[in-house]
Amino acid sequence: MLKNYLKIAWKVLLRRKFFTFISLFGISFTLMVLMVATALYDHAFGPQMPEHDMDRLLFVNMIRVSRDGGYMNSSPPSYHFLNRHVRTMHTPEQVSINSVFHTVNSYINNRKLALDLKHTDSEFWQLLDFNFVEGGPFSQQDVQSANRVAVINKTTREQYFGDMEAVGKTIEADQVKYRVVGVVEDVPVLRLHSYADVWVPISLRSQDFNKPGLHGVYFATIKAHKPADVSSIKAEYATMLAEVERQQPEKGTEVHSSPDSVVESFARTFLGNGRESGLLKLYALLAGVALLFMLLPAINLVNINISRIMERSSEIGVRKAFGATSSNVISQFIIENIFLTLLGGLVGFALSAVALWLINDSNLIAYAHLALNLRVFAIGLLLCLLFGLLSGVYPAYKMSRLHAVEALKGGIK
Amino acid sequence: MIRHLFKLIWNRKKSNFLLMTEIFFCFLVLFAVLSLVVYNVRNYNKPLGFSHENVWLLSMRPATDSTALNRQQLEQLLQRAKAFQEVENISLSSSNSPFSFSQMMNVVKYKDKEVTPNFYEVQDDFDKVMQLQVSRGRWFGAPDDASHHEPVVINKELQQRLFLEEDPLGKLIPKNDSVNYQVVGVVEHFRPGSEYTAEEPGMLTRINLPKNKDAFHGELLIRVKAGTGVTFEETMVKEFSGITKNWTLEVTTLEKMRQNKAKLAMVPLIALGVICGFLIFNVALGLFGVLWYNINSRNSEIGLRRALGASARQVYHQFIGEVLVLATFGLLLGIAFAVQIPLLQVFQVETEVYMDALLISVGIIYLLAISCAFYPSKQAAAIHPAIALHEE
Repeated sequence: MLKNYLKIAWKVLLRRKFFTFISLFGISFTLMVLMVATALYDHAFGPQMPEHDMDRLLFVNMIRVSRDGGYMNSSPPSYHFLNRHVRTMHTPEQVSINSVFHTVNSYINNRKLALDLKHTDSEFWQLLDFNFVEGGPFSQQDVQSANRVAVINKTTREQYFGDMEAVGKTIEADQVKYRVVGVVEDVPVLRLHSYADVWVPISLRSQDFNKPGLHGVYFATIKAHKPADVSSIKAEYATMLAEVERQQPEKGTEVHSSPDSVVESFARTFLGNGRESGLLKLYALLAGVALLFMLLPAINLVNINISRIMERSSEIGVRKAFGATSSNVISQFIIENIFLTLLGGLVGFALSAVALWLINDSNLIAYAHLALNLRVFAIGLLLCLLFGLLSGVYPAYKMSRLHAVEALKGGIK
Repeated sequence: MIRHLFKLIWNRKKSNFLLMTEIFFCFLVLFAVLSLVVYNVRNYNKPLGFSHENVWLLSMRPATDSTALNRQQLEQLLQRAKAFQEVENISLSSSNSPFSFSQMMNVVKYKDKEVTPNFYEVQDDFDKVMQLQVSRGRWFGAPDDASHHEPVVINKELQQRLFLEEDPLGKLIPKNDSVNYQVVGVVEHFRPGSEYTAEEPGMLTRINLPKNKDAFHGELLIRVKAGTGVTFEETMVKEFSGITKNWTLEVTTLEKMRQNKAKLAMVPLIALGVICGFLIFNVALGLFGVLWYNINSRNSEIGLRRALGASARQVYHQFIGEVLVLATFGLLLGIAFAVQIPLLQVFQVETEVYMDALLISVGIIYLLAISCAFYPSKQAAAIHPAIALHEE
């Protein structure tokens, strides 16, 4: 039966090539945009080198202090705060403190390189999975004795040394010389917490270490033993923060900060307000935009499908006259539609591969390597089916209500 | 004729409903995207009010908290900067230098008016560094040292919002209980945010280093002679690092910052434009297909009309007219929604932007409808009455 339906569907597609082209174009283009969007989302929030264990990683990147009378200050936390209160937490497996990257200048052969430099501790290399091209990370020893060593990314190596090996050589940034100990693959810039061109020991900024106060220029990266521990880490963090809040000398001081996953911290930055992360708002917004975007092609498809089906009213009349029920007819048309959508989906995948390649090639996002992966593929397929149902159900329903006699006469107007 | 067409479409509103919805949504999408485009294009065509070529920005981040030491080093650095042959003029600035990502705003009051302008703290040479043209009054400078009030230069936008028709020169704006700002000059335009933002009220205040012993400003604007390149940049940074020790120094050109800002404005616009373009193309194809099918399935009606003496031209006009009426129904609904945005003042944008966007969208939709109906209508008009009636 299914095979028969598919055969019919194929014949119908070939009969009206123009209509087929319109449908396929609409489906494949819409899917392409959705795929590019999911690839971007995945690139920003999904597991990706060096942040592989996304379900075990939490990031602290903001602390907000507000007092009575409208005073409000929010910025990344200070080293003092992170070192004293976050590093000492019991539930996490490991905690790393690293600085917000800043740009440093480097001049080679009358050329200027603006490099993004990040100060990290040695735990940073253990809890994140960097892909080392050569050499390795700097050790705890290096950090303790504040050695001027650096890990650089591949692009920086190319710009400095060409294709040569870099380990053991020196690079200069802001008039300071560092010895290269390792080279890693480029980290995309959207990975704000790990991204940099050059990583150096955090102890080179030890003048910041003793500054009291909550505000500074540091991030913390927290790794849980297992995904289920995330909530207990959050709970411990909240208790710790309440204690910090209590110790503040000024009356009416409120301190907000929380360890977030990448999506949560993004939502908090743009939509949240202190305690709530705004994650639901973000998802609602994304879903709304996606729905609105799909609406127009869907209506278009419904329109075309109605015209296509109307043409076949005599066929339906014959089928009904021979005893097919409404649900038989509906299922036939839905299957046909899903078949068409999947076909459009295939074309869409090809198109999105091209689009992603173009985006990567244009260097719009530094070090982006957007890729179609299996998860994105699955989401796309799901969207395909949804799309097929969305555009197939209404015309099919409309057709199934035709009376055999009317249908045989040529359909309704 | 037109009334007749409206009646025809209205009578078949059920089967035309989907087409109308499609046109309605298509219009909404177009209107939204075009509003954004029109807004950006209008802003882009306004003058910036300054020239950014050959201006470099040096950002300085001191390593220590000692204000006295930082000030001392800063003054040495300024001395050294002025001494370079390649440097024409320099001026310290607050962190919201042109094309930067930071903003500084505060409320000012004059009589019963209240405005929140951007504050730009700059030094006396800023007008030469940025080549500002003061259209009324004068730029502030050393003679103001003796003044009891703090001299400020405002832009036209702030003048209009704060003083309306009054002459702004010499007017006092209270800063706090003891100090007033005094307006000494007006610049026609000053739009340092980005080329794509609207003119915002702005107020330029004076950095007076000798008077404020512990003020520190981390941004230095440097106008260099044309053609000065990275070799000089390296020498300059090396010299400065010698003076400032552990500071983080960063040099960039305003041109590069302008490009960054432009990219930030253009990339979403281009992405939206491409998506919108394909959506419209998609709708156009769909419309064409459906119209083609609908018109072709009305053979008998056409045959009858032709047999009763209607010319091919009349049939052709009827179909084009029908499509236009159809589009009008969709558009009316769309416009009813779209005008809510300027009426309710959802965003702080001039109404003209929406009007332009609305008119262009309506134009595009009609154009789309006509071009989609063109071929099927022509085909319909070419039908021979005898054949059409025979088929029936």
